[in-house]
Amino acid sequence: MNKLIIAEDIMQEHEVKGYFEILRESVIRSRLTMTAVFFKVANSSQGTDIERNQVNHQISAFLKSKIRKTDLLFQLADGMHWGIFFLQSSEVEVKAFLKRIFAILTQEREFQQIALKASVTEIRNNSVDFETLLDKNKHKLADDEQPTWSVEQVTDYRVQPTEQVKVSIIEQNEIFRKVLDTTLKNLDIPHYTLDVSTYEDGYSFLQSDNYKTGHMHLVVMNDILPRKNGLEILHILREMPNEKKFIIYMMSERNSEGATLNAYEGGVDEYIVKPFNLRLLEAKIKRTFARFWL
Amino acid sequence: MIQLSISFLLTVIVVLLVVLFLFTIYILVQRHREIRFTEVRDTFLQKYSQHWYNYLINDEIFSIVLVPRGRAQVAAIEIIFSSYLKNIINEKVEHKIKEFSNLYLKEFYEKDLSSKRWSIRMNALYRIADFQIEALLDTCQQFEKTKISEGEYFQLLKIYSIFQPELFIEKIKESSINYSESEYRRLFVLLEDDVFIRLFEDFDSWTKNIQFAAIDTAAVKRNMQYIDQLKQLLTHEIPEIQIRALKGLYEIGVIDEIDPYVPFVTSDMWEVRLMVAKIFNHVPLNYSYTYLEQLLQDENWWVRSQAAKTIVENREGIAKLQQFMESSNDQYAIEMAQETVVRKQGNK
Repeated sequence: MNKLIIAEDIMQEHEVKGYFEILRESVIRSRLTMTAVFFKVANSSQGTDIERNQVNHQISAFLKSKIRKTDLLFQLADGMHWGIFFLQSSEVEVKAFLKRIFAILTQEREFQQIALKASVTEIRNNSVDFETLLDKNKHKLADDEQPTWSVEQVTDYRVQPTEQVKVSIIEQNEIFRKVLDTTLKNLDIPHYTLDVSTYEDGYSFLQSDNYKTGHMHLVVMNDILPRKNGLEILHILREMPNEKKFIIYMMSERNSEGATLNAYEGGVDEYIVKPFNLRLLEAKIKRTFARFWL
Repeated sequence: MIQLSISFLLTVIVVLLVVLFLFTIYILVQRHREIRFTEVRDTFLQKYSQHWYNYLINDEIFSIVLVPRGRAQVAAIEIIFSSYLKNIINEKVEHKIKEFSNLYLKEFYEKDLSSKRWSIRMNALYRIADFQIEALLDTCQQFEKTKISEGEYFQLLKIYSIFQPELFIEKIKESSINYSESEYRRLFVLLEDDVFIRLFEDFDSWTKNIQFAAIDTAAVKRNMQYIDQLKQLLTHEIPEIQIRALKGLYEIGVIDEIDPYVPFVTSDMWEVRLMVAKIFNHVPLNYSYTYLEQLLQDENWWVRSQAAKTIVENREGIAKLQQFMESSNDQYAIEMAQETVVRKQGNK
């Protein structure tokens, strides 16, 4: 009985709405996917009220014991649905979670009265409001013909918004500057648009003010540049309060360990020795951006 | 007083004016040609660098507009090719540049080689090597027979080393000119591995500068292929060669067995002991510690310092040094250990 009393302690639908709005915005800001799961009792018509109540408590207690500290469990107002927001988790992880708990529920005798089905929604944008999310999932789970332990999917919110990234190429050699310009303009990174500008020396880059906006900013520059060299620019950018928005690639002709170490310790994200393969540069940039979303 | 007639003076003035006039015309024409040259070159760069990008990188079909007409356009193409070769590694691009140069630039450089001006000849030699214009190899060999400067001969050697390594080895064997170590290094660094390794075959037959340059180049190339060659040199009678071989092995950074290095711990020369202390950086500490402890008590400051640095780089290094400080009587070694530990802890 003790277990049941603790189970009363879960959040209710009206309490969660405010949290959801904050979580949804932080999905965009921190580029971390959130996944929502809704459960419904599959055999809700069976049994007396008391029995149903008991099962509900048991489900609440069970789910509560299985989630992580960063997950948010709540019960919907109709008493037949439960929801969990899995922060920093993609659909794949959540499906694995469902597989795991469904296996426990079907195998262990103490849970033999419980039969559930679930629907999963991966959220990667902020164009979803709480009520719509609930409605869509309830609708998915409404069909009584659905088999027990089935997992439905709402796929409307899984596309992340396209983000604009500023790219600055700082290179003295005009021909190579154009080569980099063309290469990066042609580079197709899913969900990102690159706004490329080129500079022939460090001073003109710093004069441009282009780097003072809040956008994510990829800087591809040489270490040796006229009028303010690359290492000085690196230092200036890394001293800025929002320095984390800069992804700095430094190109250099120096292939010594000392120079490489110095650059990494100064804060570059990649140190590329010239001459290099353009395809390699493209691949590195793509990987850098792929890391941002879960 | 010298008597000069007015008519004579006028004649002189007129002649001088004519000379001055001609000279001005000459300068103006030259200037005009120079401006025209720059204009044509820059227009070509403006108009066609995107075409070149499409051809070299995007594999678009070769267009006849890319073929240079005149010197100025050759200069533009030189700028484009050099920029690509200096900044980008791509076999296809290199191959296309080579093919194009052998076909369309060959004649220009052939003419340049017979120029009276040294700078034009040198430029041609540089380009032949950079753009790999193999079609001019025979011309180069003919060129070698004419009266050429040392600098030109050096460039020729570079060209041979790329196109005909056999000939290159022959030439440096018989060459009457003795280049400096750094010049040899610049030549050797271009050699393919299988040719370079042959320098070690008959090692003692080379001059000292070649020997030193070969060892240093092996270190720069950081190729494991050269480890055996360098190890063989550890028993060489000339200490300088031993030290350089040790340095090369340290640079390559792969130490597969410790035994060949152990005798150097007790060498008479501190430079050798220093190098061996460095080499132990690449050996697990439980194998090297006994020797490093010995080196930590060395009479030379540099050796003691390096031994302490090597020990402290290891995860258990600080503990080992602290243990050493408690048990040792050697004040110099204890001080060195103490200093190194403090510095390491400060860095953390």
